[in-house]
Amino acid sequence: MRNLLNFLARYNNLIIFLLLEGIAFYLVVTGNYYQNSLVLKNVRAVTLGIEKKISNTRTYLNLHDINLKVAQENVELRNRMERLMKSDSQLFSSVKDTIFQQQYIFTRVEVVNNSTNRQKNFFTLNKGIKQGINVDMAVISLDGVAGIIVSSSNNFSVAMSLLNLDFRLSARMKSNGYFGSLSWDGRDIRYAILNEIPQHVIINKGDTVETTGYSAIFPQGKIIGIVSDFEKSGGDFYKIRVLLATDFKKLNNVNVIANLRKTEQKQLEKSFQ
Amino acid sequence: MINSIIRYIIIFIILILLQVLLFNNIQFSGYVNPYVYIMLLLLLPVEISPWLLLIVSFFTGLTIDFFVGTPGLHTSATVLSGFVRPYILRLISPRDGYDQGAVPSMETYGFRWFLLYTVIIVLIHHFALFYLEVFRFSDFLRTFLRVLLSTLFSVTFILLAEYYRKDR
Repeated sequence: MRNLLNFLARYNNLIIFLLLEGIAFYLVVTGNYYQNSLVLKNVRAVTLGIEKKISNTRTYLNLHDINLKVAQENVELRNRMERLMKSDSQLFSSVKDTIFQQQYIFTRVEVVNNSTNRQKNFFTLNKGIKQGINVDMAVISLDGVAGIIVSSSNNFSVAMSLLNLDFRLSARMKSNGYFGSLSWDGRDIRYAILNEIPQHVIINKGDTVETTGYSAIFPQGKIIGIVSDFEKSGGDFYKIRVLLATDFKKLNNVNVIANLRKTEQKQLEKSFQ
Repeated sequence: MINSIIRYIIIFIILILLQVLLFNNIQFSGYVNPYVYIMLLLLLPVEISPWLLLIVSFFTGLTIDFFVGTPGLHTSATVLSGFVRPYILRLISPRDGYDQGAVPSMETYGFRWFLLYTVIIVLIHHFALFYLEVFRFSDFLRTFLRVLLSTLFSVTFILLAEYYRKDR
């Protein structure tokens, strides 16, 4: 007993160190995407208040750019509406049932917290389960693809940014339809890497890279970026550097996309695996 | 005693705010992410008991983790630095040892001593932090470069801050 007490007295600092380090490691391993740890979620409500203030200021400073973009989008939508109305009234006077065909629902969401300077980046959005936002929904900015929702609480949700080493996205070249896997290499926040495009395919600088829609998360044809340069890496594939369309440094207004037929597709695919 | 505790709490708040509001937004090409909050550990008195130092580092790391949203990451790196600090201090102790109630500072022990002390601890902290963050050993060299560059920036800031603190 005395030996034990002596031992404890002698190594008490080491024991405290191991204990605290153990707690920290436990947090790292279990809560890596921090949706699992309930404690953090509750405490984060406090820090989110501060983050909201910061992001409000930032939004205000970016107001000019946002206005321009919204105006541009308005014009595009108005043009599209005009076209649709024209084509509707040509032959029959049919009622267009918009809900029946609809596969994707878009929701406008604001980014309240965003990081770009880490290797595994996430951003926080100001809507959650109560507003119909759930795990595995796609997030796009006004310019292009931004991320995927990985966790949502009642009023907030957290999205894994494209700038995350764990992020994988199926992407294709718009010019020829060949698809590959897009990921971020952790170096430059403006570029991502597109792999698995075979070398016999002809690609050019400036080609558009877009989503495929294979994963049932992103709708197909959403712009990711453009080819900035490419090289033949070992094997039979190109290694293509893609200049991302989204500027993650000023992510403010984003859209969350819900796929209404995702469960149907997933279930069908599951039965063949 | 009470006075110095209040002083450390103020330093703590200032460093956390600086880290969250300013340094977390710094980005040079993905290689430089300075983490300056570690300065708090550097400034604690030499004779602080190791267990208290560990607990202070634990809560410092935890606070940063809450703001950054990475549970355990900063905590484990900071606790590690808190653990090694007494050994580092013993390793680089000046010839006639530390005085009673001494505080590690540039003023007392000179620029070179403080630089060495800062570099060692910041390097250990950043090393643990960056490798835990990527959690893989592929791209070992690139992460190592990030550690070195970020350490350079953190140390520069800490030295500047220490220099101005000295004037006050």
